[in-house]
Amino acid sequence: MTNSNMTCEAFDAALPDYLEGTLAEPLRTTVAKHLSECVRCASLVRDLEKIQKDAAALPDLVPARDLWQGIEARIAAPVIPLAARPDRQRRFVPAWMGVAAAALIVSTAGITYLLTAHAFQNGNSTIATLTPSATQSNPAQTSGGSDNGAAQTPATTPSEAVAPAAQSGGTVSRVARTAPLETRAGTQTRLVRGEQSEVVYGREIDMLQKILTDRKSQLDSSTVAIIERNLRIIDAAIEQSKTALAKDPASRLLTDQLTHALDKKVELLRTAALLPAST
Amino acid sequence: MAAVSNAVRVPMGDSADVALAAAGDRQAFERLYRTHANRVYSICARMSGSRVRGEELTQDVFVRTWEKLPQFRGDSAFSTWLHRLAVNVVLNARKSEGKQASRTEESDVEDDRRDEMSRAPLHIERMDLKNAIANLPDGARKVFVLHDVEGYKHEEIAEMMGITSGGSKAQLHRARLLLREALER
Repeated sequence: MTNSNMTCEAFDAALPDYLEGTLAEPLRTTVAKHLSECVRCASLVRDLEKIQKDAAALPDLVPARDLWQGIEARIAAPVIPLAARPDRQRRFVPAWMGVAAAALIVSTAGITYLLTAHAFQNGNSTIATLTPSATQSNPAQTSGGSDNGAAQTPATTPSEAVAPAAQSGGTVSRVARTAPLETRAGTQTRLVRGEQSEVVYGREIDMLQKILTDRKSQLDSSTVAIIERNLRIIDAAIEQSKTALAKDPASRLLTDQLTHALDKKVELLRTAALLPAST
Repeated sequence: MAAVSNAVRVPMGDSADVALAAAGDRQAFERLYRTHANRVYSICARMSGSRVRGEELTQDVFVRTWEKLPQFRGDSAFSTWLHRLAVNVVLNARKSEGKQASRTEESDVEDDRRDEMSRAPLHIERMDLKNAIANLPDGARKVFVLHDVEGYKHEEIAEMMGITSGGSKAQLHRARLLLREALER
């Protein structure tokens, strides 16, 4: 509809500002004139103004239940700021214990190194270190390992530069995909599979487990509980992987899963062994 | 009349209770809760579009108030500060939570109503403003409640909701038109 030189569409466009009272002259006069002549637009404005008025007059709502109890329970929950924690007496920890723990960790790392190096020198094709030269010499066979950043770490000793498996091809990409057992003492990355790896992991785990057992009394009991719970979870994962591998020994996925779980266990035990004594 | 209403809404004894509550007095805080619970609940329920969700949010608001009360400097009236806090709690409530709760709880409240309506003749299917607001789209509902019910300005709404003032105006107009349509049915 067109009235007073203004269409209803034009009126609709001006309506928000009109209702806000922010419409400038001479448009405001034009709108007012249109409103006096157009029933449809006048009715629209009347309805919208009523909604506005009714909304402003809406009474407060009342909750269906008393909410205070829930609020009180939440604000009453004790919150102990770190600064306000009671100053527990520091337990004296002999310095030799820390040194002994560090020495044990270094020794286990060393044993890992020796065992893996020994296995390699024996020509065990299940141990390999992927090197840039190996990658370049046979890119088609090593491309599968490119998603493992650690596998691309260059070897630091000549004897490890090119593993027999890498030279002969075939098993490199498969081995390179396995999760590494990384020694903390050095930066080399070792990729271990099969029974040999289980022996290595087993020795390291046993030693770290012993450290943890010795240090249990020094650690916070809740921390120990969490560590033990996580160890049980990892152990269950290891057992499941072993059981599955027994049925399907060629499965790369299962091998990776087992290696990953063993790595996790070693990592957790190492972390636990290095935890400071609770204060 | 409006002045009387406002006087009831902003009690004189707030400042003493605010000071006591800020110092950890839970009884004083409960008095503040009793005084302001309905206003805060109204904001929460209307903005969220759900009475049950509104109850949860109201509790969140008062817990937050308890935590932040020591920071209240009295630059504005306590009620103004509290209502702004309530708006922020509602706006910051996780959208997914809000949506999920809103649907579930709305269905709790609205299912009976819908059942009733489905059995009623069409000519008496008339929604009141309260329910029509609850059925608005989320953004339009929040802007409508903040502007037309709570009296915030577009600039304030824009700042709180992280939108432009023009966006707030557009949402408000959309909300009013949708309400008109719903109320006309």
